[in-house]
Amino acid sequence: MNVVIDKRPIWVILLSRSLRPLFFVVVAIIFWYLVSIPTPDGLGLEGQRTIALFVVCLILWVSGVLPLAITSLLAIVMVPLLGVLDKKAAYALFGNEAVFFILGAFILSGAVMHSGLAGRTAVVIMSRFGETPKRLIASIFFLAAVLSFFMSEHAVAAMFFPIVLEIAKGLNLKPGKSVYAKSLFLALAWGCIIGGVATFLGGARVPLAVGMLKEATGINIGFFEYTAAAFPTVLIMLLIGYFMLTKFLPSDVEDIHKIKAVFERKIKELGKIGYAEYAVGVLMAVTIFLWLFLGRTIGIANIAIASVVVLFVFKLVRWKDIEEYVNWGIILMYGGAITLGAAMEKSGAAAWIANTVISEWARSPLIIIAILSLLTILLTEGMSNAAVIAILLPVGIGIAGKFNLDPRIITYTIAIPAGLAFCFPMSTPANAIAVSSGYVTARDMAKAGVLMMISAWVLFNITVFIYWPLIGIKI
Amino acid sequence: MNKYKTLHNPAYLKIDLMLNGIKADNETIQRLGLDLRYGYTGVTGGLDILLPHNTWVNASFLEEFAKSSKYELVLRDKKTFIKAGDESVKVDIMPKPEFYKLSTATGIPLSKIGAMHGGYVAITPDTRCEFFNMNIECRYCAGNFNSGGSGRVYTVEEVLETVDAANKEGKAEIVYLSIGFSETPDGGIEFLKPYIKAIKKHFNTLVAVEALPPKENHFIDETYAVGADSVLYNMEIFDERLFKEICPGRDRLIGRERYIDALKYAAKVFPNGTVATHLIVGLEPAESTIKGIDFFTGIRVVPILPIYRPSVGANLLNYKVPSLDDVLPVYRDLYHAVKKNKININWVRDISVITTPIEARFFAKTKFNKTLMERFYKTKLGVKTAWGLSTLRRKLRVREGGEG
Ligand code: SF4
Repeated sequence: MNVVIDKRPIWVILLSRSLRPLFFVVVAIIFWYLVSIPTPDGLGLEGQRTIALFVVCLILWVSGVLPLAITSLLAIVMVPLLGVLDKKAAYALFGNEAVFFILGAFILSGAVMHSGLAGRTAVVIMSRFGETPKRLIASIFFLAAVLSFFMSEHAVAAMFFPIVLEIAKGLNLKPGKSVYAKSLFLALAWGCIIGGVATFLGGARVPLAVGMLKEATGINIGFFEYTAAAFPTVLIMLLIGYFMLTKFLPSDVEDIHKIKAVFERKIKELGKIGYAEYAVGVLMAVTIFLWLFLGRTIGIANIAIASVVVLFVFKLVRWKDIEEYVNWGIILMYGGAITLGAAMEKSGAAAWIANTVISEWARSPLIIIAILSLLTILLTEGMSNAAVIAILLPVGIGIAGKFNLDPRIITYTIAIPAGLAFCFPMSTPANAIAVSSGYVTARDMAKAGVLMMISAWVLFNITVFIYWPLIGIKI
Repeated sequence: MNKYKTLHNPAYLKIDLMLNGIKADNETIQRLGLDLRYGYTGVTGGLDILLPHNTWVNASFLEEFAKSSKYELVLRDKKTFIKAGDESVKVDIMPKPEFYKLSTATGIPLSKIGAMHGGYVAITPDTRCEFFNMNIECRYCAGNFNSGGSGRVYTVEEVLETVDAANKEGKAEIVYLSIGFSETPDGGIEFLKPYIKAIKKHFNTLVAVEALPPKENHFIDETYAVGADSVLYNMEIFDERLFKEICPGRDRLIGRERYIDALKYAAKVFPNGTVATHLIVGLEPAESTIKGIDFFTGIRVVPILPIYRPSVGANLLNYKVPSLDDVLPVYRDLYHAVKKNKININWVRDISVITTPIEARFFAKTKFNKTLMERFYKTKLGVKTAWGLSTLRRKLRVREGGEG
């Protein structure tokens, strides 16, 4: 039983409860107002209605008053009701490749976790390399990052959490006081966050962005292509992160030999490596190989779903074991976001916003990239990173059209920074998990996170300016 | 000479009766129709008498010490009086409830499961207390809670049958659930949860829970969330040294500090006036109990002050029953302290086995008039309102964790 008692005065609770219905009434009024004002020049009636719906979804996604998935379902229902797309087309968008890729990735990542392969890899590597305080930090940080290249960063954070907690307890570190404990948990969170933007697999937001791009423009981005664009940011952020963890949070612990016993016990508990672990490991390696080299021809979703089928053919997992790893909420959210994104594009709403609202400040492609990435990185600190993509990408694609920019550039500009949320527990589950330990406070996280956030934004823009042209991304 | 005119002050009379019991000859017992099969002995087993000003008392009349009491129960013209010397006062004898004669479907007499005390039906689903097995039981405890580790655990269904029967008689305004000590971090609430849930699901009644302070505060949140309207963590003795001596189990396995912290926290979770702790009068010097009263009312906890009556089986030695003179300053302080700290005293009322803060007003120099609220809460509508408000408050305050 997990309950929270609201200890505020009753009148405050009553007031806040009555705010909820009031909030929905206000949202309804805003919607009604936006659809009933005269249609602006250059925008059709469908575009106007889509913008009204977009504003409603934006308010709901940002405020979090409704679960993200439910707002998305609302979008799917409203798009045909407003006459923007017909029913068939709106619901068909839910069958987007990205949605099935995410589903496959959740199941594969669940299999890696459930088989024990991920946990074993983590413990073995940490016990082998984590002999000094700095090396232990390095093993947690880089290992969390590398694992997040291949599976959901949230799953990696959840898997590492009990191990790092045991290390902190084994070293008798004081919650909220020990600097070393803070770096241990920040290493865990930052490793997952930075590693999570490296490939399609770290978080479901990149496939979402790619799916939205494909629905709106027909342009596809391959697994390898995305990683090539994101990798320098990831690599340098890892170095900056490690520098911050070891220099800004200097260790107050000298000897960590005590935790050797923790690792030994964990390895003993795992027993010898089993058939399922081997098989899941091989299947994962083959899947990643196919994504990298045949993703464009076969399709990344096809590869993911085919691998899932293989998992079950060989009875490597049972459906019951996997169900808890599949975040149906995220899948529903993505379906709705893709539908809304497509409606924005097809109704001309995205182009109209880009033309009228954004053309004011958008003087050159580089300024557009700088501002969009800044907006993304700021928004992602306060809200779900998938919601940031759902909000910014349709408009971003409209801007690309207006400035003759390759829409893939805008997709990268939003998808990569959307994952780099360092400041608050609510920014991303990895941060929330670190703060829930009690060893890092939200304040510690915000202080160190702001520096990471600024570094990430500056670095991303330098990468855009210097590195992207080298790999053929013309701005 | 009766220095305090106890007969005409219900609170004085209550305390005196609790301390010294009441005489009742066989003829009176027979004429009153008291069925002695239904446990009229023990700490809470005496005769429930309704004194003037709606004051309940549970007075011993079968125990040896009651034979020398100055009070006597007499019947005149089918009316019952308590007589002391030449004076007498009219009272009502509460017959043992009808449901005491019934049994559960499993054959257990309901009188074994539930005990009526004024407006409460008290139920202890598991009568075992592990302190006894470790030899660290509370020194005043006669083992009335404990069956030496072999006590029958009453099932949820058996408890529901009891509450149902009491409810049909209109006698379950409040169901009081309690539990002895078991070595779990939750203080016994995990065990009581299914009972609380079931009672709340089937009856519109208030539930009070007497448990041990849990090790972590989230169990207190859960106690409230699951449906308890009131909670008691009984510290019994406020003085640090005497607490160690008299309550070795509570001291060693829970600790005085934890009692205080848990009560402090519970007072922030539960409504005003519904978190309480017993401080036994007479087992520590009056000044120390007064200190306890002032401390607890300061953190919005209601001190409930039972008087210890010597019981066969308790291993508390050298116990001297306090006199009225000894205990009066304590009760006076109780009334002033609850008033000063604006503690709602409508919740802990109508209990025959302890003196409630509401009754303590008879010791202060105030009029005996009932307040409007007090009158209201005694009516049927008042009882329903109390239940409704308590339920609404819980609905507003409790949020499922992780909800977004
Ligand atoms: S906790 Fe103390 S008073 Fe209660 S049953 Fe156990 S020994 Fe007796």
